[in-house]
Amino acid sequence: MSGFDIFAIVLVLLVIVTLIAGVKTVPQGYDWTIERFGKYTQTLSPGLNLIVPYFDRVGRKINMMEQVIDIPEQEVITKDNATVTVDGVAFFQVFDAAKASYEVANLTQAITVLTMTNIRSVMGSMDLDQVLSHRDEINERLLRVVDAAVSPWGVKVNRIEIKDIVPPADLVEAMGRQMKAERVKRADILSAEGQRQSEILRAEGAKQGQILQAEGRREAAFRDAEARERLAEAEAKATTAVSEAIAKGDVAALNYFIADKYIKAFGQFADAPNQKIIMLPMEAMSLLGSLAGIGEIAKATFGESAASAAAAARRPGSVPPTGGTPPTVPPRQG
Amino acid sequence: MTDMFISLGTWNWLIFGFILMALEVLAPGVFLFWLGLAALLVGLISFGVAVSWQIQLVMFALFAAAAVPVWRRLARPKPDASASPFLNKRTEALLGREFTLEKPIIDGNGTVRIGDTVWRVAGPDTPAGTKVKVVQVDGANLTVAAA
Repeated sequence: MSGFDIFAIVLVLLVIVTLIAGVKTVPQGYDWTIERFGKYTQTLSPGLNLIVPYFDRVGRKINMMEQVIDIPEQEVITKDNATVTVDGVAFFQVFDAAKASYEVANLTQAITVLTMTNIRSVMGSMDLDQVLSHRDEINERLLRVVDAAVSPWGVKVNRIEIKDIVPPADLVEAMGRQMKAERVKRADILSAEGQRQSEILRAEGAKQGQILQAEGRREAAFRDAEARERLAEAEAKATTAVSEAIAKGDVAALNYFIADKYIKAFGQFADAPNQKIIMLPMEAMSLLGSLAGIGEIAKATFGESAASAAAAARRPGSVPPTGGTPPTVPPRQG
Repeated sequence: MTDMFISLGTWNWLIFGFILMALEVLAPGVFLFWLGLAALLVGLISFGVAVSWQIQLVMFALFAAAAVPVWRRLARPKPDASASPFLNKRTEALLGREFTLEKPIIDGNGTVRIGDTVWRVAGPDTPAGTKVKVVQVDGANLTVAAA
């Protein structure tokens, strides 16, 4: 085999090896860094790339897609000394392959540790209740701090989420009891308030009723008074009428009325079913006087006109011979 | 085997060329395609001009090496032809878009809220709530100017 034979074969091999070394196909989603004699020179983007063989070599192959890291579980002591177990996830994306390759030694580990320490500092500054109820705020604060910290590495942290916050079991149990007590308290207060309200309503109803009754009595009293006034007026008129009648007629007629009323009242006493003994006042004796007066009237009447009793009845001021209501004084109820 | 190889003569180059091209389809790496092209070219030339196998090998090596600058020239005009030009280039997609400043830019740094995350932006000092436009991107760093 001649030297030219060997040369030709070696040349072909050399060209093939060189081409393999110089042509780089970078897949979508990755950036490759190129180092010339170990020093970073450029970044290859996805697609077909050529590098200078023998001088350049591929350094790091950086994933440019958004990635998720699990933040491992850790114990955090809150401001009020409760120990809670916390884990989370962080989403980040590399924007500068060169910085992510050479500014930080282990990117994912760095982000993980950074996030863990920041979780401790953010949650350590909050009470347990705040920690449990302000997850969004924790996420937001973590995001701002961690994102600023990873910025020199050409990385952007898009999201940090606290997955689980687990307080110790006895604390959970105590929280459950607290919540139950809270609800029982609310229920008690509500029912007490209902009772109070109902009693107020009832008392108000009673008050209103009494007021209305009093008003009724007042009204009735006013009307009673009016009635009495009216009665007095009527009696006054009646008296006037009687006195007029007496002035015109015989004074003795007056005695008739008194006697008439007296006897009627006496009759009522007698009719009363449970009245067996009737005590008569001393003045009852004057009734006899009245009767004597009646006799005089009768004598006078019959003496003047014995022929016609009807004629006597027609005389003004006199009394009809038979009984009946007195013509001048209408019967009134008090 | 060797006899058959020799008896085939220049056909070997064409066969070799097509095999390389077929391999390129199976295992994409692009350079196999050029080697195949070079082999085909050598085969076609050896049909017309009788050259020794050593010369054929040298020609193959030269054609293969020459394919690289030729490809670079051809490929140069549109290096980024893609249906999704901003794939994995999230910040570049933000170029020219307007956002409301969430925190004021003080000493050149502020924040805007894009999507459900917060981006730190650089630019001239501006009060919060101002509309700003992304004028420059560099990795994860956005530069904004008042819109």
